[in-house]
This record gives sequence, C-alpha cells and structure tokens, in this order.
Amino acid sequence: MQKKLAGLAEQALFASAVFILVLLLFESKIVIPVWLQPIGRLHPLILHFPIVILLLAVVMEVFRFNKANTINRSESRIPDISEFYRTFSTNLLLVGALLAAVTVIMGLFLSREDGYTGAVVQWHKWTGVLTFYLAALIYWSRRKTWYSPAIAQTGAVLMGIVLIGAGHYGSVITHGEDFILAPVTHQLKSAPVDLQQALVFNDVIKPIFEQKCTSCHNPEKLKGELALTDAEAIRKGGKSGKLYVAGDPDVSLLLKRIHLPVDEKKHMPPSGKAQLTEAEIRLLALWVKGRAEFTKKVVDLPATDSLRIMAVALFKPTKQAEPGFAFDAADEETVKKLNTDYRTIAPLAKESPALAVNLYNKATYSPEKLQELSPIKSQVVYLNLNKMPVKDADLKYIGQFENLEKLDVNFTDITGKELNQLASLNHLKSLALSGTAVKYADLRNQIGTFKKLKTVALWETRLTDEEIHQLQKANPRIQFIAGFDGEKSEPIRLNPPQLKNTAIFAQSTPIQLRHPIKGVEIRYTTDGTDPDSIHSPINNDKTIITGSTIIKAKAYKSGWFSSPVVTFNYYKSGYKPDSANLLMPLNPVHQAEGANTFFDHKLGTFNANSPAWANNWAGVRKNDLVLVSEFKKPVNVTSVDLRTMIEPETGIFPPAEIEIWGGDKRDNLKLIATAHPEMPIKKSDPVLKAIGCTFKPHTVSYLKIVAKPVPKLPEWHGNKGKQALLLVDEVFIN
Amino acid sequence: MEKEILEHGFNFNRRRFLSRLSLGLGSAALGSLLIPDLFRGNGADEEGFTPGMPHFAPKAKRVIYLFQNGAPSQQELFDYKPKLREMWGQEIPPSVRGTQRLTGMTANQKEFPLVGSFVDFKQYGQSRAWVSDLFPYTAKIVDDLCIVKSMYTEAINHDPALTFLQTGSQQGNRPSMGSWLSYGLGNENKNLPNFTVLLSRGIGNGQGVYSKLWSNGFLDSIHQGVQFSKGEDPVLYLRDPEGMNRQDRRDMLDNLAQLNEMGYQEFGDPEIMAKVKQYEMAYRMQTAVPDVMDLSKEPDDIIKLYGPDCLVPGTFAANCLLARKLSENGVRFVQLYHQGWDQHGNLPFEIAKQAKDVDQASAALVTDLKQRGLLDETLVIWGGEFGRTSYTQGKLTKENYGRDHHPRCFTIWMAGGGIKPGIVYGETDEMGYNIASNPVHVHDFQATVLHQLGLNHEKLIFKHLGRRYRLTDVSGKVVHDIIA
Repeated sequence: MQKKLAGLAEQALFASAVFILVLLLFESKIVIPVWLQPIGRLHPLILHFPIVILLLAVVMEVFRFNKANTINRSESRIPDISEFYRTFSTNLLLVGALLAAVTVIMGLFLSREDGYTGAVVQWHKWTGVLTFYLAALIYWSRRKTWYSPAIAQTGAVLMGIVLIGAGHYGSVITHGEDFILAPVTHQLKSAPVDLQQALVFNDVIKPIFEQKCTSCHNPEKLKGELALTDAEAIRKGGKSGKLYVAGDPDVSLLLKRIHLPVDEKKHMPPSGKAQLTEAEIRLLALWVKGRAEFTKKVVDLPATDSLRIMAVALFKPTKQAEPGFAFDAADEETVKKLNTDYRTIAPLAKESPALAVNLYNKATYSPEKLQELSPIKSQVVYLNLNKMPVKDADLKYIGQFENLEKLDVNFTDITGKELNQLASLNHLKSLALSGTAVKYADLRNQIGTFKKLKTVALWETRLTDEEIHQLQKANPRIQFIAGFDGEKSEPIRLNPPQLKNTAIFAQSTPIQLRHPIKGVEIRYTTDGTDPDSIHSPINNDKTIITGSTIIKAKAYKSGWFSSPVVTFNYYKSGYKPDSANLLMPLNPVHQAEGANTFFDHKLGTFNANSPAWANNWAGVRKNDLVLVSEFKKPVNVTSVDLRTMIEPETGIFPPAEIEIWGGDKRDNLKLIATAHPEMPIKKSDPVLKAIGCTFKPHTVSYLKIVAKPVPKLPEWHGNKGKQALLLVDEVFIN
Repeated sequence: MEKEILEHGFNFNRRRFLSRLSLGLGSAALGSLLIPDLFRGNGADEEGFTPGMPHFAPKAKRVIYLFQNGAPSQQELFDYKPKLREMWGQEIPPSVRGTQRLTGMTANQKEFPLVGSFVDFKQYGQSRAWVSDLFPYTAKIVDDLCIVKSMYTEAINHDPALTFLQTGSQQGNRPSMGSWLSYGLGNENKNLPNFTVLLSRGIGNGQGVYSKLWSNGFLDSIHQGVQFSKGEDPVLYLRDPEGMNRQDRRDMLDNLAQLNEMGYQEFGDPEIMAKVKQYEMAYRMQTAVPDVMDLSKEPDDIIKLYGPDCLVPGTFAANCLLARKLSENGVRFVQLYHQGWDQHGNLPFEIAKQAKDVDQASAALVTDLKQRGLLDETLVIWGGEFGRTSYTQGKLTKENYGRDHHPRCFTIWMAGGGIKPGIVYGETDEMGYNIASNPVHVHDFQATVLHQLGLNHEKLIFKHLGRRYRLTDVSGKVVHDIIA
C-alpha cells in the first residue's frame, strides 16, 4: 500500500517536472482563465510548507551518511532508527519536492496576473524553479551508486541556499525591499515636504548637494575649503572663489566643475564617486540662472518656468492612487442582455466593475430604457443621454444609479424641476445641462446638495450671466460653465455669398445666389461697381441674363459685419463644337482632358502648379495652343473667349497673342481676328478671367484658335527671360 | 552495467510506460488548456489583451485630431524667437545646424540665412504662453491648451513623416492611429463608424493626403477610417436607391440574413456573420448619418463661434463642427486633415491665409466641447507632421521668404482628455533649430495619446506574419509631465 502510494507520488513528481517545463517554455502565451486564478493566489499560503519541509530534508540529507544512520541492520543495535531515518528522509524529500512543484505551478499562474514584472519577480521565479528541480534531482539520484557523501552534502547545501534565496525574493515582492530594516532607516529620512510649502533651495537643490557633494564638502572635511551644507557657506564659496555668478550658469564655477570631462582632475564629483544626473545638472543650472534664490517657494515661480516644472515633478507621488470602486462587478450575462444597438454598456476598463452607458437615437428612446438598467444600478458611473427626449419624470430612474459620477443630459427635455431626484447621487462629479430648460431657482435650491459635484455645464440655458455668477458665488467648489454667447460677442464678418446655379449657360440664365446662413440678405450689381446696402438689388433668383455677365455680390445680416464683395462670372457658351482637336501637345503636368477640357464646363481653381490640383487646366509653355473645332452645321460666330489663369508670381501669364481662324473647310481657313491681351504688371493680384476677341459675324464650319504663350517673362519678374505658362480651362464660342 | 540496463528494461514494462506516458501527455494537454494559442498560429488575444476594452480606466474616451498637413511653421505661430529677428540675414552657425540632413530642395543652397517671423507675438492667459498675432482666437484659449514645443520626428519629407505620425512607421501598410484605437477601445455608438476622416484644404501650397493614412493595415477591416465627403452623399453608397423605402430595405436585409444564416450553418465561416453585422450597421447608419451631418439645426451661437464658414461644406470650419457632432455621438476617432501648410516660398502671404482658415474653428472646437462638459473626455490634438527651418529657403527679401522642412523640432497643442491645461512643455534653442529641453518623439506622443485613452502602448499589440506590432513600434514612453 505504502509502496503504491510512493510510486504514485513519484509519477506525480515526474509529471510535474514535465508540466513545469511546458509552462516555462510557453509562458508568454499562457492565459490563465478566471476560474484558475484563485489557485494561483494560494501560492503565498502553500509556499511555507515546501520551505519548511525541504529545509528539514536538506538538513537530514547532510547527515544522511553519518555512521549512526548508515549502519547495517544486522550490525546495528538500534536497527529501527536507521531504517526510519532512511525512509523518513526519502519521503520527506519526496513530499517537499512535490509541494515545491505545486508551489511553483501556482506561482507561475499568479505571475501571469497584472503587476508581476521586474527583476525581483524574475529572480524569485528562477530560484523557485531551481529549488524544485534541485529537489527532484536529488530525489532521483540519491539512490545511485555514485551518490557520495560529498555530493550529497554539496547538493543539499546548494539547494538550501537556493531555497532561502527564493524565499527572500518572494518576501521582497510582498513586503518590499527594505521591509526588515525599514523601522531603522525610516527614522533617518525626513518627512516628505508638501509642494505648497516646498522651498526651491531647501527641498530641491540642497538634497542634490547632500546626496552627491557634502560627503567631502562639509564643515568637518571641508575639501577645497568649501562646504555645501548651508546657504551661508554656499554663498561664501571655497578656495577657488565664489561658487556661482547669480543669473549666469555659463560662467559659474559650480557648473564649470561639473561640466569638465570626468577624467579631468578638477571634475566634480571626482571620478569614482556617484556622478550627477542630467536632471540634477539642469536643476542646478536653472537654479543659478534664477539668481540662486535661497528663500523662494517652488510655487512662487511662474507656471511655465522650467525649474518649477522640473521641481514639481520631483514632488509628484510616483504612483497616483487609482480611484477604486467599492462595488462589485455586475453579472456579465445581464450586461450583455441589456446591451443593444442603441444602448451601449461597457466597463470603463478591463476588470473594472464600473460601467459606462450611452443612449443613442432619439426615435428609440423611452423611459423604460433607463428603468431596465436597475439590475446594474450600482455599477453605472457614466451616463450619456445627450439629445434624448428625457423628461423630468425620467430623472427618478437616474436617481437609482447610486454610484453615478458623470451625467450628460445636454439638450434633453428636462426643466430642472425634478433635479432633487438626483440628490441621492453622492458621487456625481460632472453634470452637463447645456441646451436644457433648467431654471435658476431650481438650480439655486438644489445644486448645493450635490457634495462631490465639480462641474456643471450651463451653456445655451435660460440662465443669465448674473444668475450663473450668483450660483458660482454660492457654490465656490463647483465650476459653472457658461460657454460662448454669440449675442454678446464682437460682431464678426459674414462670409461671401455663393453662386447657386452653374456659371456657364447656353442662351440665358437666371441670376441665383445663396448664402449658407439663414436670414442673410444678398445684394448684387451687374455693372462692375461694388454693391451697397441701399441701392443695389436684392437677390431673388429670378433676374434673367442673356450674355456673359460679371456679378458683384455682398451679404448683409444684422448682428454681423457685411461680407466682403465677391465676384462671379456667368459665361455664355453659345456653340459647342461637334468635335475638337489639339494640333500641338500640352504641357505634361497640365494635360487635363485634352481637347475636351475646353468644352466640359468644368472650371479650374488657383494652385494649378500643384499637380494634385491642376485638374481642369490645359497648359502650354514651349509651343502654341492650337485648337481646331468642327461644327457639322455651320455657325454664325461673333466672339471667342478663353478662360485663363493669371498668376504673375508663379509665371502663369495670359497669352501674348490670340489668333482666330475660320472657314468652311479644314484646310482652307482665313484669319478672322487677332488680339493682344493686356499683360499683368509687377505685383498684380492673381486672377481668373475670360479673355478673347469680338469680331464681325462669320459663318464657319471650322474654327481654329491659336493662343501663344509669352515667350519671355518681363524684366521685373524673378524668372525673367524664361517662358511663361499659359493655362486655359474653358473656351466660349458665341 | 548490461544487467542493469536489462533490469531497467524489465522494470519499465508496457503498463508502466503507458501510465507514465499518459501523465506526460496529460500535463501537456493541461498546458494546452491554459495556453489557448499553443496549437494555433495567430491570435489577437496577445498578452491577455482583450480587443475593444481599455487596459485601465481612461481619461479620454474620444480623440479629434486636427491634422495640419504640410507642416505649419512653428516660428510664425507658437515658437517665439526674437533672436531670429535680431540675426536676420545672418548665416546659421554650423554648430547649430550640425550634420542635419537636408531636403533635396535646399541641399544645394549655398547660403542659409536666418529669418525671424514677419508677424509679432504676444503673451496670453495665465500660462503667459506666446502666441503669434496670426492666431487671435487660439490666443484666447491658451489656458485650455498644452502647447508642446519640443516635438521631433525622424522623417524629412511629407509623406513619410505623415505616415510615421499616423501609423508609427514611415513605410506605410500599418494601421492608422484611429484604427488602433478602434481596435483597442471598440464602439461606443454602434450606429456610426468608429473612425471617421474629414478633408479640407487651404489656399497655401498643398501636399497629398491619401487613403492609406486611414487604412486599417493588418487589422480587421471594420477598423478602417470612413471618409465623410462634403457632397450630398457624405458616406458613399449608403443611400437607398430611389423607390426603395425603409421597410423594403428591412425585409431585404432580413431575408438576406436568413440566407446568410443558412450559409453559415453549412460552411461555418465567421466572415459570413461579420458581413451580416456590417449590413445591419449600414442600415442603422442610414438614419444616424444624415442626423449627424445636418448642420441646419445648429444655433446661431455655434455659427458665430465657429465662424460663418462652418456652414460651407468642405471647409475646415465645417469639418470642425462636424467633428464635434461625430465625437459627441460616440465616434472614437475623428481625423481631420487641412492641407496647404507647405510654405517653401511666399510664406508670409500664404501662412496668414492658412492661419485664418483654421484659427477660429480650432479654438471654437475646444470651447464648444468645454461648454458641453465634454472636453475632459475628448482629446483634441492640433499639429502637423514636422516643423520648418529657421533659415530661409530660396531668396530672402525684406517682405518675403520661405522655410524648408525641419524634423528636429515642431510645435503641436493638445487640449482636454486629461492633458494638463495651460502649460507650455519643452523648449527649443534660441534659434528655434534644436530642442533645448524635454524632447518628445513621435512615439512618445503616440504612447501618451494611447495612455490617455486607457491603453498601454506596449500591450496594444497585434500579431501579424509572425511579428507582434504596436503603434509605437519598439519605443516610446508616456510623457507623464503633461498629464493632469
């Protein structure tokens, strides 16, 4: 029976060895299911058994070969003892090794939980694992013939040391590095200083000296006749003179010595001693730069001062306490069930019991959507009802969320009458009431009952500035946000009107202008003058024009400055050719749609030098633009206009010359007209305009338009002498 | 010896072998229970990470990133350097320039004369932060901003720098920051995409913005950024065809779902169910999107706050207003790009217009979030992909100059989302060329953003092609100094 048990235990030991190996090999991929985590957490409980048992086994192993314990049964006068010693030590080691295995496995599980990182954990892990394998190794080899007393003793001592090491590292994890000596060492450390009280010198600069300098520069040792222990001595300086020039760290002896190369004899602190860190050097430099004040408080420095920012960082607690929640997590199934397309419920974070609830889509809202949340009423800490038609009566359902911290009821239908329904919300920090019909009286009476409230958003409510001011005065710990009020702000300029219909038409078109802002009056002129608010006609979308027209328009609205004048061009494009061909190539960047570009009714915009935005512009630079249009039915032509871009700064010029040729056969064309457009002068503004020529009526089947780019940019131009670029996006034939 | 081996063989009989073997196998099997991925190749469940759940309680729930594409010049906006005016026209000292790599645009330039800002600066707010006169509205809200003057990056050209900032790698093909957040945090509102993109462009010299910047990379495609365009169909192909009413669509989806269910029963492919879910989301988006995109119900105060351009679709102001609406509706990451900040030449003229385009609306967004009580849970970020040089590019005249790309320092600001308000972090040297204190690398910035959203940047991991990927690649540390 006993043998069988021992056999089973041996097998278990072997299996654990394999299992631990697997765990170690694939450690990074292990995901511990929730139900197994408690096992891991038993690690700190179980670990005490293998420590004690293995230590005992180690001691017994050391004395195993002692005469009294090895004597043969036949020779022994006390046979029972030696027999007992052998079996006992064997079983003890086996039990210890097995328990070590269990502890190691639990420990590995536990280490997969969050927060177990760092060198100490690694040391603990590997010493722990080593303990187990050493124990197993000793167990398996102790019956071998080569297992001599020397090996046994070395092995046992080694395992003992590793075991104690593992135990020690484990205790460091749970109790901290300086747990044992803490009561002694803590006495030596001074109490932490409150940032509000902290002095720049005493609490920021002096500690640097104390850590790195005063072991030599103190009144007892006084190296270089310098002490850095108190303000008086620091002001005085040492053998080599004053320590610093207030306000000028670059020439101050203190920083000179610090910045000398480390192997230099005068470098401080001397090589071999602990050196100053970058941050410490910078702190010292900033302190000297700020005139080496001895009595200034950190908080008296300007908020953007580098010294203050660095100093404040020193006082910040290294780890801020996470706000813990005192309630348990809700049932996962319930949360899942309550989660719908229009009501999302999600934990704030992984493993957080707190839930955030958002409601969307007005049409699907009903008070039941809130009522249904009662199973998770303790867990909801964030509730967003923005723009939902929430009524006053619904607030009672919100009142059940006892741990609610943030409530957004912006633009809901509440009036504030029932705000007292929320009075039970002791944790509410932020309340957004913007765009609601809340009233001053209700807020005044009820807002004080919220003990933790920090911000209340009241933008777009009926409250006046004075009322908000009163609330603020009565509740200084709450920040009331009034927001932006357009009525009281400085008037700003309207943006210009826009063209509603297309700018290119065949025979006639109404003038149609629009403005994005409601209630704006648009006035315009067609004679090239600037519109005014009295004489110019108001846009009514009905005035018809029959020819190319320049519209100047302006927008007016009370409470706003009038818009700048905007110019629109209506272009008449009477004849569209049945086909069009280009006889000379276009500039590679400005290919646009080839010959079709000119009749596709798509206008280009500025910035055509950027390839991405050059879309609608056909351009030439090295050769003429030669366009032949064919009309199957002869047309009576009186004018040809080219819409061009003129941007002198970037070398985009109008054509130097335009020739119009016409006739009834492709190879028999006569020159009808030529034009020499006006050239831009230095610093003239960029402009988009139609230029061309009007002539006596001609009936033609073919029309050839030749536009010649400017061959040499004028003297005043930055690229004088080079060829100009000619850009055309549309051709109008009338 | 032989005898022992023989004995051992006798002792180690079949029964014993099998019983031992079963134990060994048993422990391996137990191991496989604990290690779900042991016999599987891939898994998102890396390091105990659950997609769609923050690692720790977040400060911010959402991000709005106002990306200023093309790299705005810090010298004309936030980084006040009187010394540069003093040294106008003087060559930059070699000790300052060091061995800095230059772009192809100025590498052959013979002189590198320093140039100060053409515009004046003043100090504002309790933080006494310097802001240029080009940003009168931003100046009013400095006490809500954390201005970081010591950002630096590794790339020197737009596309790699932009890609680096957004995906953590210069090469592309990795998930964008918004996709990572979508993956890490999950949906707040199931009726809108988690990650949306809005584009606008100013008058200045522009640089391309490509859809790879809002790519999901190797993450599931549900994390891809959805671009909302300015036209009548903000989300393409979302609208029902003419003649189809809502009930028809519902019936069609129900029937399709049944068919898909049959397909799923037969093949068991989870992608089939994913598809059904996406159809359903699109169905819900059909009502949610028009509601969000409708600006006609915004009160006058809002129009004045953002400026009248906020009602002109496709402008930066309109996109800021939309960003607020999307964010308010639970969209985790709203990414704006405003093009036109690449002032290699003609800087004074162009930057003034660019600044005017974005100033009022950027400040308005912060104010608007604040007055709704949302600023504490929304992180707003404003900034470009790198900075601009302290010396001029091209010809320096009294009125005109340009600035080249400069990765060694640039300025961004952040507001809300648990970032310390009213501080200026980091300093550049007096010539604004190198960082003098508290450098913030792009990966540090990304780590900080993730931290504010409750994600540990070292644990937000996705395994792809045998490697574990992070937004911060292999470096990055959270800048605790700027966290409230």
